[in-house]
Amino acid sequence: MSFPLICQMSIRRISQRAKDEKTRKLLSRIIRVDQAGELGADRIYAGQIAVLGNTPVGPIIQEMKEQEQEHLETFNKLIVEKRVRPTALLPLWNIAGFALGAGTALLGKEGAMACTVAVESVIGEHYNSQIRDLMEDDPEKHKELIKKLSKFRDDELHHHDTGLEHDAEKAPMYDALSQVIKVGCIGAIWLSERI
Amino acid sequence: MAAPCINRFALIFRSISRTALSRCNRNGGRFMSTSTGDRNPPQDTSSGPGGSASSQTSNGGYNTQRTGQGAQYSDELDNSEDLVSEVEEEEMPEETEEEYQTKQAVLKASLPFVHQYGWTKKAIVAGAESLGMPSMVHGMFPRGGAELVFYFYEESNKELESFLKQKVTELKEKDEKIKTGPFIHDAIETRLRMIIPYIDKWPQAMAIQTLPQNAVQSWTNLSRVVDDIWFYAGDKSNDFNWYTKRGSLAAVYKSTEIYLIQDRSEDYTDTWNFLENRLEDVVSAGHLARNLQETNTVLSEGAKGFCVMTRNLLGMNNR
Repeated sequence: MSFPLICQMSIRRISQRAKDEKTRKLLSRIIRVDQAGELGADRIYAGQIAVLGNTPVGPIIQEMKEQEQEHLETFNKLIVEKRVRPTALLPLWNIAGFALGAGTALLGKEGAMACTVAVESVIGEHYNSQIRDLMEDDPEKHKELIKKLSKFRDDELHHHDTGLEHDAEKAPMYDALSQVIKVGCIGAIWLSERI
Repeated sequence: MAAPCINRFALIFRSISRTALSRCNRNGGRFMSTSTGDRNPPQDTSSGPGGSASSQTSNGGYNTQRTGQGAQYSDELDNSEDLVSEVEEEEMPEETEEEYQTKQAVLKASLPFVHQYGWTKKAIVAGAESLGMPSMVHGMFPRGGAELVFYFYEESNKELESFLKQKVTELKEKDEKIKTGPFIHDAIETRLRMIIPYIDKWPQAMAIQTLPQNAVQSWTNLSRVVDDIWFYAGDKSNDFNWYTKRGSLAAVYKSTEIYLIQDRSEDYTDTWNFLENRLEDVVSAGHLARNLQETNTVLSEGAKGFCVMTRNLLGMNNR
Protein backbone atom coordinates (compact mmCIF):
# COMPACT_ATOMS: atom_id res chain seq x y z
CA MET A 1 0.00 0.00 0.00
CA SER A 2 1.51 3.34 -0.97
CA PHE A 3 2.28 5.92 1.65
CA PRO A 4 -0.04 8.71 0.43
CA LEU A 5 -2.86 6.26 -0.11
CA ILE A 6 -2.80 5.28 3.54
CA CYS A 7 -3.23 8.92 4.49
CA GLN A 8 -6.04 9.52 2.03
CA MET A 9 -7.84 6.46 3.29
CA SER A 10 -7.84 7.77 6.84
CA ILE A 11 -11.12 9.38 7.65
CA ARG A 12 -10.35 13.00 8.49
CA ARG A 13 -13.10 13.95 10.87
CA ILE A 14 -12.36 17.32 12.33
CA SER A 15 -13.36 16.57 15.87
CA GLN A 16 -15.66 18.79 17.84
CA ARG A 17 -12.72 19.50 20.10
CA ALA A 18 -10.71 21.02 17.27
CA LYS A 19 -13.69 23.07 16.07
CA ASP A 20 -14.31 24.50 19.53
CA GLU A 21 -10.64 25.35 19.82
CA LYS A 22 -10.75 27.21 16.51
CA THR A 23 -13.83 29.21 17.53
CA ARG A 24 -12.32 30.04 20.90
CA LYS A 25 -9.15 31.35 19.26
CA LEU A 26 -11.15 33.43 16.79
CA LEU A 27 -13.32 34.95 19.52
CA SER A 28 -10.42 35.74 21.81
CA ARG A 29 -8.52 37.39 18.97
CA ILE A 30 -11.52 39.53 18.05
CA ILE A 31 -12.35 40.64 21.58
CA ARG A 32 -8.73 41.33 22.45
CA VAL A 33 -8.07 43.57 19.49
CA ASP A 34 -11.41 45.36 19.82
CA GLN A 35 -10.75 46.21 23.45
CA ALA A 36 -7.35 47.57 22.50
CA GLY A 37 -8.88 49.53 19.62
CA GLU A 38 -11.57 51.14 21.74
CA LEU A 39 -9.05 52.07 24.42
CA GLY A 40 -6.83 53.60 21.75
CA ALA A 41 -9.73 55.56 20.25
CA ASP A 42 -10.80 56.78 23.69
CA ARG A 43 -7.29 58.01 24.40
CA ILE A 44 -7.00 59.70 20.99
CA TYR A 45 -10.13 61.72 21.72
CA ALA A 46 -8.81 62.48 25.22
CA GLY A 47 -5.62 63.86 23.68
CA GLN A 48 -7.61 65.97 21.24
CA ILE A 49 -9.77 67.36 24.04
CA ALA A 50 -6.67 68.23 26.07
CA VAL A 51 -5.66 70.61 23.25
CA LEU A 52 -8.98 71.61 21.68
CA GLY A 53 -11.29 71.25 24.69
CA ASN A 54 -12.10 74.96 24.92
CA THR A 55 -12.72 75.52 21.23
CA PRO A 56 -16.11 75.27 19.48
CA VAL A 57 -15.25 71.76 18.26
CA GLY A 58 -14.68 70.56 21.86
CA PRO A 59 -18.24 69.39 22.56
CA ILE A 60 -18.32 67.37 19.33
CA ILE A 61 -15.15 65.53 20.24
CA GLN A 62 -16.47 65.06 23.76
CA GLU A 63 -19.59 63.38 22.42
CA MET A 64 -17.55 61.04 20.24
CA LYS A 65 -15.31 60.24 23.22
CA GLU A 66 -18.32 59.28 25.32
CA GLN A 67 -19.50 56.87 22.65
CA GLU A 68 -16.05 55.27 22.52
CA GLN A 69 -16.17 54.93 26.29
CA GLU A 70 -19.42 52.97 26.00
CA HIS A 71 -17.81 50.67 23.45
CA LEU A 72 -14.80 50.20 25.72
CA GLU A 73 -17.01 49.22 28.66
CA THR A 74 -18.76 46.63 26.52
CA PHE A 75 -15.49 45.03 25.57
CA ASN A 76 -14.16 45.19 29.13
CA LYS A 77 -17.19 43.16 30.19
CA LEU A 78 -16.72 40.70 27.32
CA ILE A 79 -13.09 40.15 28.28
CA VAL A 80 -14.13 38.98 31.72
CA GLU A 81 -17.17 37.03 30.49
CA LYS A 82 -15.39 35.10 27.78
CA ARG A 83 -12.15 34.72 29.73
CA VAL A 84 -10.09 36.43 27.07
CA ARG A 85 -6.53 37.57 27.66
CA PRO A 86 -6.26 41.34 27.17
CA THR A 87 -3.37 42.50 25.01
CA ALA A 88 -0.11 43.10 26.84
CA LEU A 89 0.39 46.31 24.87
CA LEU A 90 -2.48 48.16 26.57
CA PRO A 91 -0.20 50.62 28.41
CA LEU A 92 1.56 51.33 25.11
CA TRP A 93 -1.71 52.07 23.28
CA ASN A 94 -2.75 54.24 26.21
CA ILE A 95 0.24 56.53 25.78
CA ALA A 96 0.45 56.32 21.99
CA GLY A 97 -3.25 57.15 21.57
CA PHE A 98 -3.03 60.22 23.77
CA ALA A 99 0.12 61.36 21.96
CA LEU A 100 -1.49 60.90 18.55
CA GLY A 101 -4.62 62.77 19.58
CA ALA A 102 -2.73 65.65 21.14
CA GLY A 103 -0.21 65.76 18.30
CA THR A 104 -2.79 65.99 15.54
CA ALA A 105 -4.88 68.45 17.56
CA LEU A 106 -1.85 70.75 17.71
CA LEU A 107 -2.13 70.95 13.91
CA GLY A 108 -5.46 72.60 14.48
CA LYS A 109 -9.05 71.49 14.35
CA GLU A 110 -8.60 70.20 10.79
CA GLY A 111 -5.68 68.04 11.87
CA ALA A 112 -7.70 66.49 14.67
CA MET A 113 -10.57 65.77 12.29
CA ALA A 114 -8.18 64.25 9.74
CA CYS A 115 -6.86 61.91 12.42
CA THR A 116 -10.42 60.93 13.34
CA VAL A 117 -11.31 60.22 9.70
CA ALA A 118 -8.21 58.07 9.13
CA VAL A 119 -8.63 56.05 12.33
CA GLU A 120 -12.37 55.54 11.92
CA SER A 121 -12.06 54.37 8.33
CA VAL A 122 -9.53 51.69 9.34
CA ILE A 123 -11.70 50.65 12.27
CA GLY A 124 -14.81 50.47 10.08
CA GLU A 125 -13.10 48.09 7.65
CA HIS A 126 -11.70 46.12 10.56
CA TYR A 127 -15.12 45.62 12.17
CA ASN A 128 -16.49 44.53 8.79
CA SER A 129 -13.85 41.85 8.36
CA GLN A 130 -14.47 40.64 11.91
CA ILE A 131 -18.21 40.37 11.25
CA ARG A 132 -17.42 38.40 8.11
CA ASP A 133 -15.16 36.02 10.05
CA LEU A 134 -17.81 35.46 12.70
CA MET A 135 -20.50 34.78 10.15
CA GLU A 136 -18.21 32.35 8.37
CA ASP A 137 -17.58 30.49 11.60
CA ASP A 138 -21.09 30.20 13.05
CA PRO A 139 -23.70 32.92 12.50
CA GLU A 140 -26.12 31.44 15.02
CA LYS A 141 -23.74 31.09 17.92
CA HIS A 142 -22.23 34.55 17.49
CA LYS A 143 -25.51 36.39 16.81
CA GLU A 144 -25.20 38.61 19.91
CA LEU A 145 -21.64 39.58 19.19
CA ILE A 146 -22.32 40.20 15.50
CA LYS A 147 -25.15 42.54 16.44
CA LYS A 148 -22.92 44.47 18.85
CA LEU A 149 -20.09 44.75 16.33
CA SER A 150 -22.50 45.95 13.65
CA LYS A 151 -23.80 48.68 15.92
CA PHE A 152 -20.30 49.76 16.86
CA ARG A 153 -19.24 49.78 13.22
CA ASP A 154 -22.15 52.08 12.43
CA ASP A 155 -21.12 54.40 15.28
CA GLU A 156 -17.55 54.52 14.01
CA LEU A 157 -18.68 55.31 10.47
CA HIS A 158 -20.81 58.10 11.92
CA HIS A 159 -17.68 59.50 13.57
CA HIS A 160 -15.90 59.20 10.23
CA ASP A 161 -18.60 61.26 8.54
CA THR A 162 -18.58 63.82 11.37
CA GLY A 163 -14.84 64.23 10.84
CA LEU A 164 -15.33 64.84 7.13
CA GLU A 165 -18.08 67.38 7.82
CA HIS A 166 -15.74 69.41 10.00
CA ASP A 167 -13.14 70.10 7.30
CA ALA A 168 -10.84 67.12 7.82
CA GLU A 169 -9.65 67.34 4.22
CA LYS A 170 -8.44 70.90 4.74
CA ALA A 171 -5.78 69.67 7.17
CA PRO A 172 -2.12 70.35 6.34
CA MET A 173 -0.56 67.42 4.39
CA TYR A 174 -3.90 65.62 4.59
CA ASP A 175 -2.96 62.74 2.28
CA ALA A 176 0.37 61.98 3.90
CA LEU A 177 -1.02 62.37 7.41
CA SER A 178 -3.97 60.16 6.64
CA GLN A 179 -1.77 57.47 5.10
CA VAL A 180 0.68 57.41 8.01
CA ILE A 181 -2.10 57.16 10.57
CA LYS A 182 -3.84 54.37 8.64
CA VAL A 183 -0.65 52.33 8.39
CA GLY A 184 0.00 52.88 12.10
CA CYS A 185 -3.50 51.67 12.96
CA ILE A 186 -3.21 48.56 10.83
CA GLY A 187 0.12 47.76 12.48
CA ALA A 188 -1.40 48.28 15.92
CA ILE A 189 -4.30 45.98 15.06
CA TRP A 190 -1.93 43.27 13.80
CA LEU A 191 0.16 43.44 16.96
CA SER A 192 -2.78 43.47 19.36
CA GLU A 193 -4.29 40.39 17.75
CA ARG A 194 -1.16 38.43 18.55
CA ILE A 195 0.45 40.00 21.58
CA MET B 1 -9.26 -11.84 17.04
CA ALA B 2 -8.38 -10.70 13.55
CA ALA B 3 -10.75 -7.75 13.06
CA PRO B 4 -10.06 -5.69 16.21
CA CYS B 5 -6.35 -6.45 15.91
CA ILE B 6 -6.22 -5.20 12.34
CA ASN B 7 -8.30 -2.15 13.26
CA ARG B 8 -5.82 -1.26 15.95
CA PHE B 9 -2.86 -1.67 13.62
CA ALA B 10 -4.61 0.42 10.98
CA LEU B 11 -5.20 3.14 13.52
CA ILE B 12 -1.57 3.15 14.57
CA PHE B 13 -0.36 3.16 10.92
CA ARG B 14 -2.62 6.11 10.18
CA SER B 15 -1.41 8.04 13.15
CA ILE B 16 2.25 7.43 12.53
CA SER B 17 1.89 8.18 8.85
CA ARG B 18 -0.05 11.33 9.69
CA THR B 19 2.76 12.42 11.98
CA ALA B 20 5.35 11.62 9.35
CA LEU B 21 3.29 13.29 6.62
CA SER B 22 2.96 16.44 8.66
CA ARG B 23 6.72 16.51 9.09
CA CYS B 24 6.96 15.94 5.32
CA ASN B 25 4.75 18.94 4.62
CA ARG B 26 6.68 21.15 6.99
CA ASN B 27 10.11 20.27 5.71
CA GLY B 28 9.22 20.17 2.03
CA GLY B 29 11.86 18.42 0.00
CA ARG B 30 14.52 18.41 2.70
CA PHE B 31 12.98 15.56 4.64
CA MET B 32 12.65 13.26 1.67
CA SER B 33 16.25 13.70 0.60
CA THR B 34 17.71 12.97 4.04
CA SER B 35 15.85 9.75 4.49
CA THR B 36 16.75 8.06 1.20
CA GLY B 37 20.35 7.37 2.15
CA ASP B 38 19.55 6.04 5.59
CA ARG B 39 17.30 3.13 4.93
CA ASN B 40 19.55 0.37 6.19
CA PRO B 41 20.59 0.45 9.81
CA PRO B 42 17.96 1.67 12.26
CA GLN B 43 19.25 4.76 14.08
CA ASP B 44 19.11 4.34 17.82
CA THR B 45 17.21 7.59 18.43
CA SER B 46 13.90 6.22 17.38
CA SER B 47 13.56 2.60 16.63
CA GLY B 48 14.60 0.39 19.53
CA PRO B 49 11.89 -2.08 18.71
CA GLY B 50 12.21 -1.40 14.98
CA GLY B 51 14.68 -4.24 14.51
CA SER B 52 12.26 -6.77 15.90
CA ALA B 53 9.45 -5.71 13.60
CA SER B 54 7.48 -8.50 12.02
CA SER B 55 6.48 -8.43 8.37
CA GLN B 56 3.11 -6.96 9.32
CA THR B 57 4.69 -4.04 11.13
CA SER B 58 7.68 -3.48 8.89
CA ASN B 59 5.96 -0.60 7.13
CA GLY B 60 5.27 1.01 10.47
CA GLY B 61 8.88 0.44 11.51
CA TYR B 62 10.12 2.29 8.47
CA ASN B 63 7.79 5.17 9.24
CA THR B 64 9.08 5.28 12.78
CA GLN B 65 12.63 5.53 11.57
CA ARG B 66 11.84 8.37 9.25
CA THR B 67 9.97 10.16 11.99
CA GLY B 68 12.89 9.75 14.35
CA GLN B 69 15.41 11.22 11.95
CA GLY B 70 13.10 13.82 10.60
CA ALA B 71 12.27 14.87 14.12
CA GLN B 72 15.73 16.26 14.69
CA TYR B 73 15.58 18.39 11.57
CA SER B 74 12.01 19.42 11.95
CA ASP B 75 12.27 20.40 15.61
CA GLU B 76 13.88 23.71 14.74
CA LEU B 77 11.21 24.34 12.16
CA ASP B 78 8.55 23.35 14.69
CA ASN B 79 9.70 25.91 17.24
CA SER B 80 9.52 28.84 14.88
CA GLU B 81 6.17 27.68 13.57
CA ASP B 82 4.73 27.24 17.02
CA LEU B 83 5.46 30.86 17.75
CA VAL B 84 3.79 32.11 14.56
CA SER B 85 0.03 32.57 14.58
CA GLU B 86 -2.29 29.63 14.71
CA VAL B 87 -3.46 30.07 11.10
CA GLU B 88 -0.87 27.58 9.89
CA GLU B 89 -2.32 24.72 11.91
CA GLU B 90 -5.21 24.56 9.46
CA GLU B 91 -2.84 23.40 6.75
CA MET B 92 -1.93 20.22 8.68
CA PRO B 93 -4.15 17.17 8.44
CA GLU B 94 -6.29 17.09 11.55
CA GLU B 95 -5.88 14.35 14.10
CA THR B 96 -8.94 12.15 14.28
CA GLU B 97 -10.79 11.62 17.49
CA GLU B 98 -9.79 7.95 17.57
CA GLU B 99 -6.11 8.77 17.30
CA TYR B 100 -6.44 11.26 20.10
CA GLN B 101 -8.18 8.72 22.33
CA THR B 102 -5.62 6.04 21.58
CA LYS B 103 -2.76 8.38 22.42
CA GLN B 104 -4.41 9.38 25.67
CA ALA B 105 -4.96 5.73 26.59
CA VAL B 106 -1.33 4.84 25.91
CA LEU B 107 0.00 7.78 27.89
CA LYS B 108 -2.29 6.99 30.80
CA ALA B 109 -1.07 3.41 30.85
CA SER B 110 2.56 4.62 30.70
CA LEU B 111 2.39 6.72 33.86
CA PRO B 112 2.94 3.82 36.30
CA PHE B 113 6.17 2.95 34.44
CA VAL B 114 7.64 6.39 35.07
CA HIS B 115 9.14 5.30 38.40
CA GLN B 116 11.06 2.59 36.59
CA TYR B 117 12.06 4.25 33.31
CA GLY B 118 11.65 7.97 33.98
CA TRP B 119 9.83 10.30 31.58
CA THR B 120 11.15 8.61 28.45
CA LYS B 121 10.11 6.70 25.36
CA LYS B 122 10.81 3.46 27.23
CA ALA B 123 8.01 4.26 29.63
CA ILE B 124 5.65 4.91 26.72
CA VAL B 125 6.65 1.62 25.09
CA ALA B 126 6.12 -0.23 28.37
CA GLY B 127 2.73 1.40 28.75
CA ALA B 128 1.72 0.49 25.21
CA GLU B 129 2.81 -3.09 25.69
CA SER B 130 0.82 -3.33 28.90
CA LEU B 131 -2.25 -2.49 26.82
CA GLY B 132 -1.38 -5.14 24.30
CA MET B 133 -0.29 -2.71 21.60
CA PRO B 134 2.82 -3.15 19.48
CA SER B 135 5.85 -1.29 20.77
CA MET B 136 6.19 0.73 17.56
CA VAL B 137 3.34 2.84 18.93
CA HIS B 138 5.98 5.21 20.28
CA GLY B 139 6.12 6.60 16.72
CA MET B 140 2.87 8.37 17.54
CA PHE B 141 4.82 10.43 20.07
CA PRO B 142 7.57 12.28 18.24
CA ARG B 143 8.54 14.32 21.29
CA GLY B 144 9.14 11.17 23.33
CA GLY B 145 9.25 11.60 27.09
CA ALA B 146 8.09 15.19 26.85
CA GLU B 147 4.71 13.96 25.60
CA LEU B 148 4.32 11.98 28.78
CA VAL B 149 5.24 14.99 30.90
CA PHE B 150 2.73 17.19 29.06
CA TYR B 151 0.01 14.54 29.31
CA PHE B 152 0.52 14.33 33.06
CA TYR B 153 0.61 18.12 33.39
CA GLU B 154 -2.58 18.55 31.37
CA GLU B 155 -4.42 15.83 33.28
CA SER B 156 -3.39 17.44 36.57
CA ASN B 157 -4.61 20.80 35.25
CA LYS B 158 -7.99 19.29 34.42
CA GLU B 159 -8.17 17.79 37.90
CA LEU B 160 -7.31 21.16 39.39
CA GLU B 161 -10.01 22.84 37.35
CA SER B 162 -12.70 20.44 38.55
CA PHE B 163 -11.47 20.89 42.14
CA LEU B 164 -11.74 24.67 41.77
CA LYS B 165 -15.19 24.48 40.18
CA GLN B 166 -16.39 22.27 43.00
CA LYS B 167 -14.98 24.61 45.62
CA VAL B 168 -16.68 27.61 44.05
CA THR B 169 -20.06 25.84 43.91
CA GLU B 170 -19.68 24.79 47.54
CA LEU B 171 -18.97 28.35 48.63
CA LYS B 172 -21.90 29.60 46.57
CA GLU B 173 -24.26 27.11 48.18
CA LYS B 174 -23.15 28.21 51.63
CA ASP B 175 -23.55 31.78 50.38
CA GLU B 176 -20.04 32.66 51.48
CA LYS B 177 -17.67 35.04 49.76
CA ILE B 178 -14.43 33.70 48.36
CA LYS B 179 -11.46 34.72 50.48
CA THR B 180 -8.79 35.18 47.86
CA GLY B 181 -5.71 34.43 49.99
CA PRO B 182 -6.72 31.06 51.45
CA PHE B 183 -8.41 30.08 48.19
CA ILE B 184 -5.23 30.58 46.20
CA HIS B 185 -3.16 28.83 48.87
CA ASP B 186 -5.44 25.77 48.75
CA ALA B 187 -5.44 25.77 44.97
CA ILE B 188 -1.65 25.77 44.70
CA GLU B 189 -1.30 23.19 47.45
CA THR B 190 -3.78 20.89 45.72
CA ARG B 191 -2.03 21.26 42.40
CA LEU B 192 1.43 20.62 43.84
CA ARG B 193 0.24 17.61 45.80
CA MET B 194 -0.60 15.97 42.46
CA ILE B 195 3.13 15.92 41.73
CA ILE B 196 3.98 14.12 44.97
CA PRO B 197 3.31 10.57 43.66
CA TYR B 198 5.92 11.21 40.93
CA ILE B 199 8.26 13.31 43.00
CA ASP B 200 11.16 10.87 42.63
CA LYS B 201 11.31 11.56 38.89
CA TRP B 202 9.91 15.10 38.89
CA PRO B 203 13.29 16.86 38.61
CA GLN B 204 13.74 15.03 35.29
CA ALA B 205 10.32 16.26 34.17
CA MET B 206 11.24 19.84 35.10
CA ALA B 207 14.48 19.53 33.12
CA ILE B 208 12.58 18.22 30.08
CA GLN B 209 10.24 21.18 30.30
CA THR B 210 13.08 23.66 30.13
CA LEU B 211 14.42 22.30 26.83
CA PRO B 212 13.92 24.88 24.07
CA GLN B 213 11.69 22.65 21.96
CA ASN B 214 9.39 22.10 24.92
CA ALA B 215 9.58 25.56 26.42
CA VAL B 216 6.56 26.99 24.62
CA GLN B 217 4.25 24.15 25.60
CA SER B 218 5.38 24.19 29.22
CA TRP B 219 4.87 27.94 29.35
CA THR B 220 1.33 27.40 28.02
CA ASN B 221 0.69 24.74 30.67
CA LEU B 222 1.91 26.97 33.48
CA SER B 223 -0.20 29.90 32.29
CA ARG B 224 -3.19 27.57 32.19
CA VAL B 225 -2.68 26.77 35.87
CA VAL B 226 -2.45 30.38 37.02
CA ASP B 227 -5.25 31.54 34.74
CA ASP B 228 -7.59 28.86 36.12
CA ILE B 229 -6.72 29.69 39.71
CA TRP B 230 -7.29 33.42 39.27
CA PHE B 231 -10.48 32.92 37.26
CA TYR B 232 -12.08 30.73 39.90
CA ALA B 233 -10.81 33.02 42.65
CA GLY B 234 -13.00 35.67 41.07
CA ASP B 235 -10.50 37.85 39.24
CA LYS B 236 -12.27 40.44 37.11
CA SER B 237 -9.31 42.44 35.83
CA ASN B 238 -9.35 43.46 32.18
CA ASP B 239 -6.23 45.61 31.90
CA PHE B 240 -2.54 45.17 32.60
CA ASN B 241 -3.33 43.88 36.10
CA TRP B 242 -4.34 40.67 34.36
CA TYR B 243 -0.66 40.11 33.59
CA THR B 244 0.81 41.24 36.90
CA LYS B 245 -1.54 38.97 38.85
CA ARG B 246 -0.79 35.92 36.76
CA GLY B 247 2.92 36.67 36.53
CA SER B 248 3.31 36.94 40.29
CA LEU B 249 1.28 33.77 40.88
CA ALA B 250 3.35 31.89 38.30
CA ALA B 251 6.53 32.96 40.10
CA VAL B 252 5.08 31.77 43.43
CA TYR B 253 4.00 28.45 41.91
CA LYS B 254 7.34 27.79 40.23
CA SER B 255 9.43 28.65 43.29
CA THR B 256 7.23 26.48 45.51
CA GLU B 257 7.52 23.60 43.03
CA ILE B 258 11.31 23.85 43.18
CA TYR B 259 11.19 23.95 46.97
CA LEU B 260 8.89 20.93 46.98
CA ILE B 261 11.25 18.62 45.14
CA GLN B 262 13.98 19.05 47.75
CA ASP B 263 11.72 19.15 50.81
CA ARG B 264 12.24 16.31 53.33
CA SER B 265 9.81 17.39 56.03
CA GLU B 266 6.84 15.41 57.27
CA ASP B 267 3.97 15.71 54.76
CA TYR B 268 5.93 18.55 53.13
CA THR B 269 4.82 21.07 55.77
CA ASP B 270 7.93 23.18 55.09
CA THR B 271 6.76 23.60 51.50
CA TRP B 272 3.33 24.85 52.54
CA ASN B 273 4.95 27.32 54.93
CA PHE B 274 7.21 28.48 52.12
CA LEU B 275 4.11 28.91 49.93
CA GLU B 276 2.39 30.96 52.62
CA ASN B 277 5.40 33.27 52.92
CA ARG B 278 5.61 33.77 49.14
CA LEU B 279 1.92 34.63 48.95
CA GLU B 280 2.36 37.15 51.76
CA ASP B 281 5.23 38.71 49.82
CA VAL B 282 2.96 39.19 46.82
CA VAL B 283 0.26 40.79 48.94
CA SER B 284 2.72 43.15 50.62
CA ALA B 285 4.17 44.06 47.22
CA GLY B 286 0.67 45.05 46.14
CA HIS B 287 0.25 47.19 49.24
CA LEU B 288 3.63 48.79 48.61
CA ALA B 289 2.65 49.66 45.05
CA ARG B 290 -0.55 51.27 46.25
CA ASN B 291 1.28 53.19 48.98
CA LEU B 292 3.80 54.47 46.48
CA GLN B 293 1.03 55.68 44.20
CA GLU B 294 -0.73 57.49 47.04
CA THR B 295 2.54 59.01 48.24
CA ASN B 296 3.21 60.16 44.72
CA THR B 297 -0.16 61.87 44.52
CA VAL B 298 0.30 63.59 47.88
CA LEU B 299 3.80 64.76 47.02
CA SER B 300 2.82 66.14 43.64
CA GLU B 301 -0.16 67.99 45.13
CA GLY B 302 2.19 69.39 47.77
CA ALA B 303 4.69 70.52 45.14
CA LYS B 304 1.95 72.23 43.11
CA GLY B 305 0.68 74.00 46.23
CA PHE B 306 4.20 75.20 47.01
CA CYS B 307 4.60 76.57 43.46
CA VAL B 308 1.32 78.49 43.72
CA MET B 309 2.38 79.93 47.08
CA THR B 310 5.73 81.06 45.66
CA ARG B 311 4.06 82.73 42.72
CA ASN B 312 1.67 84.53 45.04
CA LEU B 313 4.52 85.72 47.24
CA LEU B 314 6.49 87.00 44.25
CA GLY B 315 3.46 88.84 42.96
CA MET B 316 3.39 86.74 39.78
CA ASN B 317 -0.22 85.79 40.29
CA ASN B 318 -3.08 86.87 38.03
CA ARG B 319 -5.25 88.54 40.65
